[in-house]
Amino acid sequence: MNRRSRVGKVRKIKVTVEGGWVFHTLTFSLYNIQEYSMLKYIGLRLIHSLFVLFGLSLLIFFIARVMPGDPARVALGPLATEEQVQKLREEIHLDKPFPVQYYYWLRSLLKGDLGRSLYTKRPIVKDLNEYLPATLELVLCSFIISLVFGQVTGVLAGYFRNSWFDGLSRLVSYIGVATPSFVMAIFLLLVFSHILGFIPAVGRISIILRPPPRVTGFIILDSLIAGQFKVALNGLKHIILPALSLAVAHIAQEGRVTRSSIVDNIQKDYVATHVVHGVPTRSVIFKYLLKPSLIPTVSIMGLDFAFIIANAFLVELVFMWPGFARYAVTVMLNKDLNAIVAVVLIVGATFAIVNLIVDIVVSFLDPRIRLQRRGG
Amino acid sequence: MAGKDMKSNRVYAKRVNISKSWYKFSRNPLSVLGLTVLIIIVLAAILAPYITPYPEHAGPYTNFPESGQPPNLRHFFGTDTVGRDVFSRVIFGYRFSLLLAVVVISLSVPLGIILGLIAGYTKRKWLEIGIMRITDIFLAVPPLVLALAITAMLSPKLLNQMMAISLMWWPWYCRLVYSVTSSLRNEYFVHDAELTGARKGFIMIRSILPNCVGPILTKITLDMGFVIILGASLSFIGLGVQPPKPGLGTMVADGAKRLPAEWWMTVFPALAIVLVILSFNLIGDGLRDMFAVEEI
Amino acid sequence: MHTKSPLLEIKDLSVSFKVFEGDLKVLNGVNLTINEGEKVGLVGETGCGKTTTIKSVLRVLPSPPARITGGEIFYRGRDILKLKKREIPSIRRGEISAIFQDPLTSLNPVFTIGYQLQEIIKHSLRQQGIEEVSKKELKSRAASLLKETGMPDPERILKSYPIQLSGGMRQRVCISEALRVTVKLLLADEPTTNLDVTIQDQILRRLDELVEKRGTSILFITHSLGVVRHLTHRVYIMYAGNIVETAHTKELFSNPLHPYTRGLLKTVPKLTGEGVSEGIQGRIPNYLNPPEGCRFHPRCGDKMEICINKKPPLFNQGENQMVACFLYGR
Repeated sequence: MNRRSRVGKVRKIKVTVEGGWVFHTLTFSLYNIQEYSMLKYIGLRLIHSLFVLFGLSLLIFFIARVMPGDPARVALGPLATEEQVQKLREEIHLDKPFPVQYYYWLRSLLKGDLGRSLYTKRPIVKDLNEYLPATLELVLCSFIISLVFGQVTGVLAGYFRNSWFDGLSRLVSYIGVATPSFVMAIFLLLVFSHILGFIPAVGRISIILRPPPRVTGFIILDSLIAGQFKVALNGLKHIILPALSLAVAHIAQEGRVTRSSIVDNIQKDYVATHVVHGVPTRSVIFKYLLKPSLIPTVSIMGLDFAFIIANAFLVELVFMWPGFARYAVTVMLNKDLNAIVAVVLIVGATFAIVNLIVDIVVSFLDPRIRLQRRGG
Repeated sequence: MAGKDMKSNRVYAKRVNISKSWYKFSRNPLSVLGLTVLIIIVLAAILAPYITPYPEHAGPYTNFPESGQPPNLRHFFGTDTVGRDVFSRVIFGYRFSLLLAVVVISLSVPLGIILGLIAGYTKRKWLEIGIMRITDIFLAVPPLVLALAITAMLSPKLLNQMMAISLMWWPWYCRLVYSVTSSLRNEYFVHDAELTGARKGFIMIRSILPNCVGPILTKITLDMGFVIILGASLSFIGLGVQPPKPGLGTMVADGAKRLPAEWWMTVFPALAIVLVILSFNLIGDGLRDMFAVEEI
Repeated sequence: MHTKSPLLEIKDLSVSFKVFEGDLKVLNGVNLTINEGEKVGLVGETGCGKTTTIKSVLRVLPSPPARITGGEIFYRGRDILKLKKREIPSIRRGEISAIFQDPLTSLNPVFTIGYQLQEIIKHSLRQQGIEEVSKKELKSRAASLLKETGMPDPERILKSYPIQLSGGMRQRVCISEALRVTVKLLLADEPTTNLDVTIQDQILRRLDELVEKRGTSILFITHSLGVVRHLTHRVYIMYAGNIVETAHTKELFSNPLHPYTRGLLKTVPKLTGEGVSEGIQGRIPNYLNPPEGCRFHPRCGDKMEICINKKPPLFNQGENQMVACFLYGR
């Protein structure tokens, strides 16, 4: 086979996203210069992610330090004496030039220390340990919801295109995409908690219940592990509204992408070939059509995940969800520089990891990418 | 000879035929609806001081006897906690949202396009890699998070919000233009232009850029909606338009404290946000149909 | 040489496509018959409706925009167009099969060749009443099918993805898929158009052998007269959605009647080095507003008054030749 001729060419997979959450056109270019193996590829991606996170920390650190205003003064409040402020400035190296400050920060980061929060007066790692699981639980839950509903509606709308179902899902998806998640959160809160009154409005579990012993930090999982089904159910009831308000936009978005990719593929010759050769319809739809159609949908999932995290910043405020995002907004409003840098980096790292996973899944779905990476 | 070929090939991007474009756009009635709604909103926002029933309510105005009124004929959307007309404030709120979107787009799009063209067209590998890695850094975190951090570290006001969001926004365009440019760099019409000795800037602007117009315009329309969401989100947290000026996000946040009894204070501004974003999305869909290559 | 009972009869088939400017009347009353064991060619320019014809037979026209506006298609006496949806697969599995134009796009890119081929074989065998087939059996059947088409190393090919194969190899896979069981009729839509000339020749010979061996009737769609001359018994010439002439292959080449056929044959360069003729003037008509009467009249050198207003029916000329032209009857 003409293995040589393909080496060195650029392969482009163009994914056009309907509805336009943010990526209108997402283009992956994979340079096939060397013969990659999967492990090598993952390694290279990790290095790239580290580089990006390093750049990100530099950027955010730079912005934080060139800002007008004195973080130490902000932290201690207007009543503190000049000596106290000066002492804090020295403690967190604010009196040194920028590169030195960054060096100190990086050195302690490598030791696993993100510094102290000037707002909570605690090590940031400790704060994260407390708040991060709540957000991850929420984000994962809404990710799963959007995945399931998005795929199902997308496949159905694509297969029965131009039917009443397609029209309905199109209408709903327009509204879903156009509604910011904090607005959706308020609407859901109003309708389900205030008017209908059958779902609790705020928090992770009702105050009268005692949270289960911490294992994973996910309350629902932990209470299942501890065998407290009542608590798990209560947790589920609490999480459903915030998770749904985060998920709606992405259900709409993923549904649209899946639909358009199904419609795209259904016109391809190979689908006609399967049909003509007498492969049953069920098998054509759920195997031969679904697998190639999933590729664009899975490709945007990393982005979707990132946006769910970002939107959680607002939705957690609405539902008083005691999570990382609420912590992040609080430290940001209080100009708590160390914590801000940490928060941005944590989000960046999560995004990088999710993207890596997405890429690996995509390359398993699509032999064209996989083979190319291995060089044919 | 080469010149003639170049001319015919250069318009690889379709020549814009206004009546046919309009026909394709208007084939989707929803897009026309979106456009109509948007025109009304924009006009209302521009003419706000003349058409709103209580223009003075957009500022530090109080009228406690009239506070907390539900929607009625005098106040279509009711009044807020200090007795200001919510309808008037929503129309004025649109001014800030639209202003934000226009400023952000007009700052970030040219920058993104220029950097994208350079990165995609240059033959200097280090320049291409350099630009694209910087882009990667900005895209490594969702724009809301970084914009939030930057606005918070500056001080919370509309101008800073605009700067922060613009700073987040150019990389998307850079990447979009880059992907189109780098796929066209080795097309014959670009080589033709190079062989005839055209300057690099000329090639980038006259040969390559026209091919990016469709995706860029579509993305701009969709992004207008997205920037408005972002702006509203920031002001929802309190990092945008400062009271007593009416920001849509701020109004939603203030009203949310009074749910469910005084629902109109938050529901109407929220619906106003949804309406404007919806109309931008509908227009974006129409534009995509317009630029799509006809298939028969 | 072959029996005369008709296997497939297309009668006055009309198909139109709805587009935004209006209706494209692509097929305008096509008549075509294939007898059992016969090898028939269908020749015409690109865009004259050849592919639409076979897609109608297979019931895979995308609808909308396509719509069958009239006519009947009889397969062994049953009207295919009147079959219920659930009856169609049984015809596709054991009776009529097809090879499409572009081997690059007619294989699913994300499944291995073996997976696709084996699933197709499995369903066709089930149709014939063979329910239980072991995986091993399926695999060896698939491998032997590939071998029959002249594929080297079939075991390895079964594990490959389409992207790993060249165009010629993919077309061999397509042929294996089409001939997985003994089908009665094979519709081959320009099976070698996109391949290198040397590979074309190999594949056509192999396909001809396989068809001959199985006694399958074949409808060979092409725009290459050379292919038709060597591989078929009978030829239909199609122009702008109409059959304009049909005859035994030999007769057609020695005695073409329709002005279009004559023009077409003149375009074939001859080894004797006589000058290549200028061919046929003009272009294929626009299907939105096709010419009234005979669709060929704007390009025809022998145009008469009647051609402009009236569509010519097929006139019998001799025993086996029919031509749709008023030069040969009224």
